[in-house]
Amino acid sequence: MGVGMVGEAHVPMLPAPPSVVWRATVNGRLEELLAPSNAILLDVLRDRVGQLGVKRGCDLGTCGCCAVLIDGEPRLSCMTLAGDVAGAAITTVEGLADGHHLAPIQACFAEHGGSQCGFCTPGFLVTAQALLDRTTNPSASEIAEAIEGNLCRCTGYQPIIDSIKAAAEVLRGEAERAEPRTMPHADPHPAGQDEPILPPGHAR
Amino acid sequence: MMLTPPFNLHHPTTVDEACALAARLLEEGRPFDWVAGGTDLLPNYKWHIETKPDVISLARIEGLDAIETDRIGCMVRLHDLAISEVAHPLIATAASKVASSLIRRSATLGGNLCLDTRCFWFNQSEDWRRSIDWCHKADCGSGAECRVIPNQNTLCVATYQGDLAPSLLVLNATVELIGPSGARTLPLRDFFQLDGITRNVLKPGEFLLMVHLPEDAAKRRGAYRKLRVRESWDFPEAGVAASWVPGDVSSLRLASTGLESIPGVHDALVADHGDWTLPEGRRELAEAVKGAVKPVNNTALPPRYRKAMVSVLAARAMGDLMEEV
Repeated sequence: MGVGMVGEAHVPMLPAPPSVVWRATVNGRLEELLAPSNAILLDVLRDRVGQLGVKRGCDLGTCGCCAVLIDGEPRLSCMTLAGDVAGAAITTVEGLADGHHLAPIQACFAEHGGSQCGFCTPGFLVTAQALLDRTTNPSASEIAEAIEGNLCRCTGYQPIIDSIKAAAEVLRGEAERAEPRTMPHADPHPAGQDEPILPPGHAR
Repeated sequence: MMLTPPFNLHHPTTVDEACALAARLLEEGRPFDWVAGGTDLLPNYKWHIETKPDVISLARIEGLDAIETDRIGCMVRLHDLAISEVAHPLIATAASKVASSLIRRSATLGGNLCLDTRCFWFNQSEDWRRSIDWCHKADCGSGAECRVIPNQNTLCVATYQGDLAPSLLVLNATVELIGPSGARTLPLRDFFQLDGITRNVLKPGEFLLMVHLPEDAAKRRGAYRKLRVRESWDFPEAGVAASWVPGDVSSLRLASTGLESIPGVHDALVADHGDWTLPEGRRELAEAVKGAVKPVNNTALPPRYRKAMVSVLAARAMGDLMEEV
């Protein structure tokens, strides 16, 4: 940084904000941890709770990869202050499956090619689940509106819409749920609260 | 990944507590921001745009999210507004067209009205802005030149891109502001102040508490048309709202957004023009609205196109009014 650069004086050096106790139910488990008062929910979920299914895409609310359910509503965790939702019930993509058994929406994404590179998939699954929680018979426009805040650069969206329609059919009981092509295998994130799986660089 | 700047987040639980907290911070000389939904403030903060050491969140104050026919609380989320059966249909329609369904779950009415003005040179990362030696709005203390209109640093021309303001303007809404020095109510048209930096008349420590609608608003029918790059997400590049009391030709009101630093009210033009119920009259009035707005080159689409589209949007919005009869 050049000395005497215009405006340099306007970037104040501030001490880190104080940490406060943050409590919330994440995927059915009560989490209680220390987080800075300015913490963004996305950072808390990924770095403190260890739910790496929540993806950091644009970090600005454009892509929808960081969507989580907060008290059943799909919200963008990158634009939510952790302090504002303390005490809420938060569901990430990890919380959709029932143990080894995928939720219908997850099975249908796998079956209908709703996921290709997979980065946007957690966000789509969460918003699609929120839609299906509201109605099991969504119209084409309802589906389009539900996923309008999620970006996918692989599928062209049609396989995602097909997946959501198929999951709705399963939930309505009109179709058999797809049998998994491979044996259901163990929880990919078996570690508990004491040993979250952290990305490289975050390991203690 | 963008680092969130350090700030202390405060959570008052009542309006009085919020005002007292604001008064205390003002007294101590600590600058602060209000945050409602955070969909406007937090991206700006992540880009290190005008960050403050303290932020007061309105999220835990009870009772600010009530929707009634004659008033709407500042913390009503746009999603709730869009699906509300109590709110005026025009407000619900305008709310449903804001950003994406995910953002509408967090974004609030108060936040949308107090939306920070936007500019191609302003809404950028800190490194980007440093590389152009800052801009007039972002770092005005540095004496940086305005990049949009060179050699004029008297007025910031960043664009106001809120969607709800024009709809509320054509319904003649008033806003209730509250702060350490008490509450005051003023017409929404007087709330905005022509400058991309000042933006509105909120004094330090004040926030927008409530939007009130006059009794005759319920009688009015309205329409809102907007132009954006991607229908599912983007800010409006231009928007026109229209309303009238069905059958009363002289009751037409027009307002625009996304074109200048504040939303535009076009009542004088409407009064000057004749019968807009005929297609020719509509075209004439729409052309007049186009002539009255002055977009500058600081958003995604070029100003000439936005200006040309204003007349299209205005004519279509008025056409929508006719169709509803």
